[in-house]
Amino acid sequence: MIAVEIRGVAYSYPGGVRALDRVDLAIGPGEALAIIGQNGSGKSTLVRHLNGLLRPDEGQVLLDGSAVGRRHVAELARLVGLAFQDPDRQIFAGSVRREVAFGPRNLGLRGAELDGRVAEALEEVGLAGSAGENPYDLGYSRRKLLSIASVLAMRTPVVVLDEPTTGQDLRGVARVRAIVAARTAEGRTVITVSHDMRFVAETFGRVVVMRAGRIVLDGTPAEVFAEVNWPALADAYLEPPLAARVGARLRVGSTPTEASLVHALAARA
Amino acid sequence: MTLRLSAATYRYAGARRDALDSVDLEISTGSVLGVVGPNEAGKSTLCLVASGLAPVVVSGRLSGSVTIDGRETTDMRPHELAQRCGILFQDAQAQLSGTASTVFEEVAFGPRNLGLSLPAVIERVEACLGALGIASLADRDPARLSGGQAQLVALAAILALRPDFLILDEPTSQLDPQGTRLVGDALRRLVRESRTAILVVEHKTALLDRLADRVVVVDEGRIVREGPTADVLGDAALPGHGVEPPPRVRVQSALAAAGLGTAAETDRLMAELAT
Amino acid sequence: MTGSSGTVPPDRGPDPSVANPEGSAAGLPAYVLRVPTGTYRSLNPFTKSVVALSSALVAFGVRGWTGPLSVLLLTAAIALVAGVSRSLRRFVLATIPIVVSILLINAFLYPGATDVLFRVGPFAATGTGVTVALQATLRVVAFALSVAVFSLTTATDDFLADLERRGTGRRLTFVVGSAIGMIPAMASRATEIVEAQRARGLDTEGSVRRRIRGIVPLAGPMVFGALSEVEERTVALEARGFSAPARRTVMRILPDSGAQRALRWLLGVGTIVVVGASIAGRFPLP
Repeated sequence: MIAVEIRGVAYSYPGGVRALDRVDLAIGPGEALAIIGQNGSGKSTLVRHLNGLLRPDEGQVLLDGSAVGRRHVAELARLVGLAFQDPDRQIFAGSVRREVAFGPRNLGLRGAELDGRVAEALEEVGLAGSAGENPYDLGYSRRKLLSIASVLAMRTPVVVLDEPTTGQDLRGVARVRAIVAARTAEGRTVITVSHDMRFVAETFGRVVVMRAGRIVLDGTPAEVFAEVNWPALADAYLEPPLAARVGARLRVGSTPTEASLVHALAARA
Repeated sequence: MTLRLSAATYRYAGARRDALDSVDLEISTGSVLGVVGPNEAGKSTLCLVASGLAPVVVSGRLSGSVTIDGRETTDMRPHELAQRCGILFQDAQAQLSGTASTVFEEVAFGPRNLGLSLPAVIERVEACLGALGIASLADRDPARLSGGQAQLVALAAILALRPDFLILDEPTSQLDPQGTRLVGDALRRLVRESRTAILVVEHKTALLDRLADRVVVVDEGRIVREGPTADVLGDAALPGHGVEPPPRVRVQSALAAAGLGTAAETDRLMAELAT
Repeated sequence: MTGSSGTVPPDRGPDPSVANPEGSAAGLPAYVLRVPTGTYRSLNPFTKSVVALSSALVAFGVRGWTGPLSVLLLTAAIALVAGVSRSLRRFVLATIPIVVSILLINAFLYPGATDVLFRVGPFAATGTGVTVALQATLRVVAFALSVAVFSLTTATDDFLADLERRGTGRRLTFVVGSAIGMIPAMASRATEIVEAQRARGLDTEGSVRRRIRGIVPLAGPMVFGALSEVEERTVALEARGFSAPARRTVMRILPDSGAQRALRWLLGVGTIVVVGASIAGRFPLP
């Protein structure tokens, strides 16, 4: 639906810390992209430029071909939905339902259409049964799913998920994966910031590695986690998934996921 | 010394359901017990009940018994419990006092509360910082530490009360891989060098794989599986309980499915790749 | 607990400038003792708070010019000696709105005054009013500056540590200390909350009305977040033996002296005498 382009973006925080160093990144419509890197590499800073929370010192951010410029964050929220890492920073409503309704309501939805959106989003994250509950009566992992639901309900062409799998159990992670798949099936662009290597390798078709405000690797999981890139990954304080290490050890090529490992082994046999 | 739950059932004040249902559990000095299970299964409640904080501080109703070295937790005051059983939660900064200017003072907070002599307080602070390998952080501002560092400071602060039992409720859940490694290494070291019994709840089963002697699976407030770590984490039924097997187990199944080598060979391969 | 890695940062020897031989001999590092240095700063926090309190009482409690003027002079002198005069400027600027309103209201609207000095439009400034205005201004500024000098020359944790040493309960000390510490944390949290709400379409840019609309979605998370943090922290505190019955170990002892004790008594008694005389109508100076 829309393309996202980051052209030569540089940004320094008020204290002087240079968080982004002339980053170039082009994301096609409907792509599923994971940005990985250690804390302080610039990944969270980068995604905050997509909806205008941060404005670049140099360079440009383009959404659907036109520059973000000085457009208000509230306006950009129609295009880019961002689910924050800490759900407690945004949860304010007395009920789960009203929390999810906040975003679409700001975008102008009312009545039956609004209710429908809310119900759909709650269903998708598995909170339909808790619609009337107080968000703080839910555990941390479900509050996280709630914050994701509140962004899904806005039906933005670009969805950004900041560390969606922290604190999730197996089912929670599966749900997040399903959400990503459903969004890309709809043609929406999904971007995640994550340090969960397995989640990234198994869910995203493209991985971007950041270090010290720069992109150091960019490719498919198989490309990024290939043995030739391990020094660069180590430099970025990252470790390839175990499946990749086993595949390299057994010399069956780059196998970032267990499925690809099995496949490669079967092919060899 | 043993921490024992016998038919422990717990319901939070104002709740409609029991959070724990007739749990039998035991942990003795020198051992490490892993706890896994899906979210909302009662793992955190288990931690609060085992430490005695529930029902002594967190209101609710406990039936059955929870004893530390034979004494019921409900017979003890919070400060007595604190010296027998320490508990560490997910969010590092929320556990720190927020009033200490240096890590040293943060760790001293607990011993000072007990009214120990100043030399005793100092001795404990230095010992705990050393045991976790964070002596170099002693003069830092606790509010400015990385997640992993803050978690270790919180841990040191608890160890300063010299508990015989330590309960860790998802200690690495909110940490990045570096923080996780930091805490994991510190815990392994702690296990090696002290006799503190540890109960650790974790989603990262890889961590338990290398730390725990035994593992229990908690689902819907009950213990549904129990046994030596390798057995429980290698159990094919684990995902059915919402628990992700450790990478080692998953990769081993993948290799077995591909008919690659004997179990011994794959074990050796895994051992080689283990960090 | 056996085994150790690395060493606690050095500097554990007895510090001669410290009147806490017990603390330093036992091995408290200097970064924990944190003995304040500097002419006025190195005074005991209790002494400095008595100075501030007496100044405040005299500034408001003594009728006429002498009280507030002498407090102002004393405060200025302390500021100079302690080297905080530049920072004090900020506080002076902060009093300007109040000062201006006091001046205007009293000068032009003082009831019953008839000795008009000059007129501005329909308003007349009276001599009585201006006198009252100037005095009131002096009092406010004197008070504000004496409080400011205290806060600029005294670290919060020094003040609290000293209070605790003198017998303030652990709960009060903790509540005050954590409330103060919470301020920067709440400020940064507020910023993060506003960001999250904006990212969901709440428009806070542009008109004042829009900015005001942002408050409920901000207040909610701040309050809930603060409350749930308090809940978590209470449990965590109990787990650190907070409610143990023993007397809490004193760790940091700020230096004090006989001379300072005498000064505090002098200031205390002197303030009571002077304010008492003024109330009884027997204060001799203007």
